[in-house]
Amino acid sequence: MRIDVTGLTKTYKGGVRALDDLTLTIPTGMYGLLGANGAGKTTLLRILAGLLHPTEGRVVIGGHDVTTQEGKPAVQRKLGYLPQNLGVYPDLTARAFLDYIALLKGLHNRSGRRRRVTELLEVVALTDAADRRLKGFSGGMLRRVGIAQALLADPELLIVDEPTTGLDPEERIRFRTLLSRLAGDRTVLLSTHIVDDVAQTCRTLAVLANGRLAFQGSVTDLVSVANGRVWTVTTNGPPPTEGRVVSALPEAAGMRYRVVSRQSPDLSAKPAEPTLEDGYLALMDQVPV
Amino acid sequence: MIATLRYEFLMQIRRPSLWIVYGLVFALLLITMPFWSLDMGLPLEGGTARQDMTTAAMILITLLPVVYGCMLADRPGRDRLLHVDGVLDATPTSGTARLLGKWAGVCLATAVPFAIAYFGRAVLWAVTEGDPAALGWAVVTFLAMIVPGLLFLGALAFAGSLVMPSIMFRVVFVAYWFWGNLIPPNTMPTLAHTIFSATGDYVRWGLLHPLPSGMVAYGEATLDVLRPAHSPATAWLWIAVMIALAAVLLSVVRLHALRRES
Repeated sequence: MRIDVTGLTKTYKGGVRALDDLTLTIPTGMYGLLGANGAGKTTLLRILAGLLHPTEGRVVIGGHDVTTQEGKPAVQRKLGYLPQNLGVYPDLTARAFLDYIALLKGLHNRSGRRRRVTELLEVVALTDAADRRLKGFSGGMLRRVGIAQALLADPELLIVDEPTTGLDPEERIRFRTLLSRLAGDRTVLLSTHIVDDVAQTCRTLAVLANGRLAFQGSVTDLVSVANGRVWTVTTNGPPPTEGRVVSALPEAAGMRYRVVSRQSPDLSAKPAEPTLEDGYLALMDQVPV
Repeated sequence: MIATLRYEFLMQIRRPSLWIVYGLVFALLLITMPFWSLDMGLPLEGGTARQDMTTAAMILITLLPVVYGCMLADRPGRDRLLHVDGVLDATPTSGTARLLGKWAGVCLATAVPFAIAYFGRAVLWAVTEGDPAALGWAVVTFLAMIVPGLLFLGALAFAGSLVMPSIMFRVVFVAYWFWGNLIPPNTMPTLAHTIFSATGDYVRWGLLHPLPSGMVAYGEATLDVLRPAHSPATAWLWIAVMIALAAVLLSVVRLHALRRES
């Protein structure tokens, strides 16, 4: 399901401009949306999900304009949405919560709905906890309930906002794998500020900065932004002042710094192969504040 | 709408505090008013099932709506507080249907203990007096005298949540209930016993238990322009006013939600 965003602007009350004339095309498959906190990612996702009206611009999803009264329900019938701060009713069981959301998504056939809920509880490995109240669930379990509710109507478009925040490493990997598996012929839009999540799951991505599109293309293209700009410096002295230090690793010979910089940060600096994180940081250095 | 009604009803009815608070206030009623004695300690003539059911309704209406309003207060803002609103708003079910479902579901659930107390009284009468007509009159009285007021109070709780936090709404609601519904109108300017009061006076005196000709329920008071004489017509007018007020308040709540989206 293709998404065409054209000239999208969102200005909140008080004049805060969260999105500024954003034009973007999102193809079918897994797609990453990167950006710092406050870059406008959540605002964009909320507009795509029909939760927020843009100030200007159009958003056409699978041929329907989500900003119109007619287009919004048509898009929402094909949508699965996992918000950044997923909440649940603590007094309902996981099964009851999913049943309620399934009804709201139009799954009115009782036996079909129950079957779908049971299926999804299995997909997210919550079968054993299905009849427990949600108030006793851990953060990871709640995220899995979140992904299950997003998949209830077998959506063509899945929007997930910061899904791995707060998860332990094992849960994060499990979650990423699940998302990749779901992509198939769906569009899965993964918004995150964790570069590694995109590196592990997406081939194409966009980067937002200050409400504008800073980059759109393949992961390889973003990595190449840092070509010739990544260095390692091993020293016992102070960290390099030139460029941006990406990591610092203590070694026998001293502290080994990884630096993204246009020029060599130190005489002893050695060039290194860039990663997606380096490409992202190199890109951010180019973006006007 | 039905899905929201069903789940909001379930969540509210399973809430322990609903039963505890109702239970405490009902116990207070039992202590202070002879609710369960068949003559109810009131010098009523005739003692017919119809009169008894009307009086029982009047007694319950003095205090139980306070519990009703207070128990509803946190429901309208609960989805936002729990961060469930994002998931709900992203479904194709319209916001209006969900609002109506939520309002109907929580109002219905919150009225259940009220109904149990009232119909319990009716069953007691029917059994001890051998008069099953009490059950029929209880249904009529509950629907005509109590339900319209509860519908309005439910909508008021939803609208109140727009302008103040639920804790503050509870305080304001208690004050409103006593000032706007129970205070004798000749003591101070009040909405009590007007066509806007939720106590069902108009149905009681105009339809179910008409006052003898020439007799008025209250003396002269300010705002008497809002207190037309009790009659079957004003009883129906009161029911219409309660439903219309509920509709207006819910429309305001929906418009506010639409404005928030933009």
